[in-house]
Amino acid sequence: MNTSSGGGMAALGGGGRSWSTTSVSASGKRIQREMAELNTDPPPDCFAGPKGDNLYHWVATLIGPHGTPYHGGIFFLDITFPSDYPFKPPKVVFKTRIYHCNVDSAGNVSLDILKDSWSPALTVPKILIALRSIFTSPDTYKPLVPGIAHLYLADKAKHDELAEEWTMRFAK
Amino acid sequence: MDLSDQVKKMMEEDEPDDDADSFEKISEAFICCICLDLLYKPIVLACGHMSCFWCVQRSMSGLRESHCPICRQPYQHFPMICKMLHFLLFKIYPASYKRRQTQILEYEKEKGSFSPQFDDPAFILETEKKLPRLSSAQESTVSEYDLLSHPSSSSKDQILLNVAPSESGSIIEENAGPNLQIAAEDVESTILSVDEEKKLQQRISSVNCHQISVCDVLCTLCKELLFRPIVLNCGHAYCESCIALPTNEMIRCHVCQIKHPGKAPKVCLELDDFLEEQLPIEYAKRRTSFQLKQDHLQQESSTTCSSEDAPESVYLPPSSAENLLSWWGDHKVHVGAGCDGCGMYPIIGDRHKCKECVEGRNYDLCGECYATGSKLPGRFNQQHTPEHTFEIMRPNSIRNIMLRLLRGQLEDTSAAPNPSPDTTENQHSSLSSDAQEAAGGGPATNDSVNQGCENERLVKCWAESNEPWRSEPSHDCSFCISPRQIEYWMGMGLG
Repeated sequence: MNTSSGGGMAALGGGGRSWSTTSVSASGKRIQREMAELNTDPPPDCFAGPKGDNLYHWVATLIGPHGTPYHGGIFFLDITFPSDYPFKPPKVVFKTRIYHCNVDSAGNVSLDILKDSWSPALTVPKILIALRSIFTSPDTYKPLVPGIAHLYLADKAKHDELAEEWTMRFAK
Repeated sequence: MDLSDQVKKMMEEDEPDDDADSFEKISEAFICCICLDLLYKPIVLACGHMSCFWCVQRSMSGLRESHCPICRQPYQHFPMICKMLHFLLFKIYPASYKRRQTQILEYEKEKGSFSPQFDDPAFILETEKKLPRLSSAQESTVSEYDLLSHPSSSSKDQILLNVAPSESGSIIEENAGPNLQIAAEDVESTILSVDEEKKLQQRISSVNCHQISVCDVLCTLCKELLFRPIVLNCGHAYCESCIALPTNEMIRCHVCQIKHPGKAPKVCLELDDFLEEQLPIEYAKRRTSFQLKQDHLQQESSTTCSSEDAPESVYLPPSSAENLLSWWGDHKVHVGAGCDGCGMYPIIGDRHKCKECVEGRNYDLCGECYATGSKLPGRFNQQHTPEHTFEIMRPNSIRNIMLRLLRGQLEDTSAAPNPSPDTTENQHSSLSSDAQEAAGGGPATNDSVNQGCENERLVKCWAESNEPWRSEPSHDCSFCISPRQIEYWMGMGLG
């Protein structure tokens, strides 16, 4: 049970190269199933689907939840699936600018389940739910923009005011 | 929106694939959490969660212990396929299972690596008719196993005790050590084979109806309907109550005598619920008889705590990061290599590699399986026979790097949200002594330390992600390992 045939490289994560053709079809099937799941049972205030012909590039929308400074905003996200999905997490990028300590100016998100805590049992609906949850409770312990996290902890009213302003400006 | 049309289009494209078996409504319990399709060659992890053979294989880490995709319970051993479930699923969803079979076979062909082959019950039926009745009990053992395994030589594979009497005889002559065990196994399997043959006949008689019967889901030991089923690492299913918890020693499978690593597995709740739903009368009977037994036991040993609670306390929380570190620090870890005997992946300690299994996947054994003379066939259908010779392998040097990475990672998680420069320095001073030596007497300035950290993180990213390394380290820090060097090492060890 070893890996000199190329499995080892895959196990080390270096190996999309060796089996790219096969994993595309396996990952493609899985992505299609997720799409079906999203169609039949979409999570609240979320939408996601492929951008064009490419199954591996999705666009998703999140609606800012009530009771948060993001309320009323529509946030667009790009989701890119790696060829060995679901064994590697998809890359999620905010396309709409947002004032949030876990999202930087380039739209990168710091969310543990999209990095170290990824599990192949997670699906797009679950990711969207997790993203929605950082709207209501930002993770100030692992911020991507420390300044916003500091402001959130020091002066939440000011933070919310700014976030609301950004939402008005960019997400409506 | 256009997108929804797109989605619909995509779904339509997918349809021809599912057309053949769309009439089969697959129970939620048997949907693999990874491929979101019907389980194919199911494996039940020690935590009781199920997944397909390849899904488990591909989700395992290779660098260190793996975690259940659902509950994240750590495990180190790649379990074997649960054949009982395999045949059960084939029976309930013949069309879907066939579709999955062709799908996976395609995948395997492209990959050039195969999962263990079994034959479907229909095949058993045919062979059974052709085969002349065997007189001796021992011979029947062999026939039984040969029936279940693939007929061709390629796969005496899955069957754990498929050593033919003549073969095992010769082994006994050769080594004086393990012969007692082999003999014991033979006897054990002989006794069990009689029962199993009965079971097989029952299975054959009911092979044509899609409705499952009790004989499809029997406990390996008590031969009754599984009640709160658990599946050992060897893939055999038992009732939870049939596996007595040995206090100090490891659990051993009664059929194949393979040790189950770690504590008793948890009940496979999905299967349990399914059985209760499908066979309500039989299940209720089992429940009452179990409760009666339980009451009896409690009366007998009223002083000890109830046996219901006992296993619960046995399950310790996942091993802490400190354990992981000591595990990496004290042992030789063979990154990316797994034991074909016990399934340990990656192998820790000695690794014995078969010199003759060179096509496709290697055949490896861990030190313990080598010492006990494991006669198991390969996990990936390797053409391994007990006559093959082994060589001992040195751990690949990437492990040393990973050791550092792991330490880096450990500190990452334990560090405060905003680590100050001094804490960073402390982290480095806690590195292994060889790292200290390599650093030439420890970090000189905070600046270089930080850069060192950054590079370690990059190495980690490189090792764990698909992205090829992009930039060389810009400075000459002895903490840093050049990416080219890693690539070279990986090529040496694994390429």
